[in-house]
Amino acid sequence: MRVLLVEDELRLAENVATALRDGPGFAVDHAPDGETGADLASNLCYDAIVLDLMLPKLDGLGVVTRIRATGDRTPVLILTARSEPASIVELLNAGADDYLAKPFDLGELLARVKALIRRGKGIAHPVLRFADIEMNTLEQSIHRAGVAIDLSPTEYRILAYLMHRPRVVVPRRELLEHLYDYNWEHHSNVIEVHLSNLRRKLDAGSSSSCIETMRGRGYRLVSGA
Amino acid sequence: MIAIVLVVEFASALAVTGLALAHERRIRFRALEATIRGHADSLVGAVQDSDDVSTKVMLDGTQKTLPKADLYEVRDEHGALLGRSERWSDEVPPELAPDRYAEFQLNRQTYMVLHHDGVRVVDPGTTGGGQTHLLHVTYASSEAHIRHEIAEAVSFYALTSLALLLATGLILWWLLTRELAPVHELATQATRVSVTSWEFHPSDRVMATDELAPLAKALGAALTGLEASFTQQERFVSDAAHELKTATAVVKSSLQLLSMRERTAEEYRAGLLRSERDCERMEEIVARMLALARVGASAQPLPALRTCSVVKVLREVAEQLQPIAEVREIALRLEIEDRLSTAPLDADELRLICSNLLLNAIQYSPNETTITATVTHSGLRIADQGHGIAPEALPHVFERFFRGDASRSRETGGAGLGLAICKAIVDRVQGEIAIASSSAGTTLTVRFPG
Repeated sequence: MRVLLVEDELRLAENVATALRDGPGFAVDHAPDGETGADLASNLCYDAIVLDLMLPKLDGLGVVTRIRATGDRTPVLILTARSEPASIVELLNAGADDYLAKPFDLGELLARVKALIRRGKGIAHPVLRFADIEMNTLEQSIHRAGVAIDLSPTEYRILAYLMHRPRVVVPRRELLEHLYDYNWEHHSNVIEVHLSNLRRKLDAGSSSSCIETMRGRGYRLVSGA
Repeated sequence: MIAIVLVVEFASALAVTGLALAHERRIRFRALEATIRGHADSLVGAVQDSDDVSTKVMLDGTQKTLPKADLYEVRDEHGALLGRSERWSDEVPPELAPDRYAEFQLNRQTYMVLHHDGVRVVDPGTTGGGQTHLLHVTYASSEAHIRHEIAEAVSFYALTSLALLLATGLILWWLLTRELAPVHELATQATRVSVTSWEFHPSDRVMATDELAPLAKALGAALTGLEASFTQQERFVSDAAHELKTATAVVKSSLQLLSMRERTAEEYRAGLLRSERDCERMEEIVARMLALARVGASAQPLPALRTCSVVKVLREVAEQLQPIAEVREIALRLEIEDRLSTAPLDADELRLICSNLLLNAIQYSPNETTITATVTHSGLRIADQGHGIAPEALPHVFERFFRGDASRSRETGGAGLGLAICKAIVDRVQGEIAIASSSAGTTLTVRFPG
């Protein structure tokens, strides 16, 4: 999953970004002002946007309005130091999905971002199931047919993205976009390596492969039968 | 107002009634006295020669035309009774003084009595001039009807006054209500003004009232001023809250990040150090806000005695900031145009201005540039060789919590209060602070009056 963080207070951005990377293992891009934020969001490669309200150049409300005007449905969580109900109502009406008042609890922020990502992909529960694969996004654990499987962080993130979009063909490009932030050096073969490792670990005790490679199109999570 | 007028009017009505009473009394009693005397005289005239030899004279009967209610008695010089009225009573007091009126009570009525000695010449045409008789006439008449008349006259006056009083009261009340309506209107409009609603629009009727228009205008002006300062205060509080909440969020998130999972001692140490720096920044914000609040609070003009040497303070501050500048390889140059230049401030305040301006200059200067601090005749000038400030941002640089470029100033740790503090201090002594900026650098000029 990849999150866009728009926050002008650099130390706060640093902390939130670190938490999002360390905790749920999201890729995080940071924009220090509204203008940059809106530009980055227009690339449509984010699973959630964390947006500060008071921003230079373009404020939070302006960013939300601009994002929603293009038909982008990415969930938006607003961070605000203002708590007037009027401004919150205005924001929610403009298309924001949730808000958190500063100073917030980092744990709550992570939980809300995860919930927003889930909801954005039509999933209600933090424990995801597909065929005999069970993914607990809270504990970040994977079980296949009741057997625990140990994955590397990148492998986990690839599987998490696929689990959130079961049976859908996910193009390689989309997968890359949602796994890495802009600071990452893209080596296209890196993802192949991770995928083959993931496949090997997942299929160890099973006869059928659960990740299908559609040549030239992308990857798909399929039920073994 | 109405009450005072009515009281005065009531008093004058009482006075008029009193005067009327006295006057009426005098006139009526005079008239009564004249009547009594007339009647007594007519009684004297009624005495005639008597056919009866023993008595010589008698009343001729014309006395019958006198009012029946009156009491009279006629005696001759020998005290013989010539006649008396049917109602005569022996309670009529005897003569005390001749030809004087006296009052007495009879049958619970007050009577006025006159003892009159009259001379009656009977048959003056006869030889010898007729017979002269000395007669004692006592005539008494009831005062009841004239007292009644006086009472009537007085009550007429009293009632008229009362009616007048009532009419005046009503007219006054009506007039006052009509005249005071704009005042009430103004008061109602003024009470509607509150902290949440500063709307004050005096109605046309109020503005058309000559006596009220200046008051309404003054109120409007005062409210506009109040609203402006209140709005500014409100913004300051809200900005301050925002600033502090954000600073708190930084500290909190730093600590929470640290405790999210087990870390190495090295990581903990680094994290704690970061948290401490975040705390220091918050401390600085609070200190600056307090400084600004203090400058704002002591708005009274200062005693003219307070002066300090600009050269001394600027040199001192420049020396203090030298190490910070050196790290960035920025040269701090001090130029002195006027060695004797003074500022009408105490040294601490000037130090605050100098350090804020110099720190700003250092923060916005690229490495390896020069900052020139000049002591001018009327104040000081700080010029840096930074990238300058965007023209659209220039008018706002002295506003509280304003940042030209948020990401950059956040990085450098400012809270957007430095220049606002400088302006507040300079404004208080009626000085001037100005900023000029181009892509080649920014110059801040402070001028003190005098």
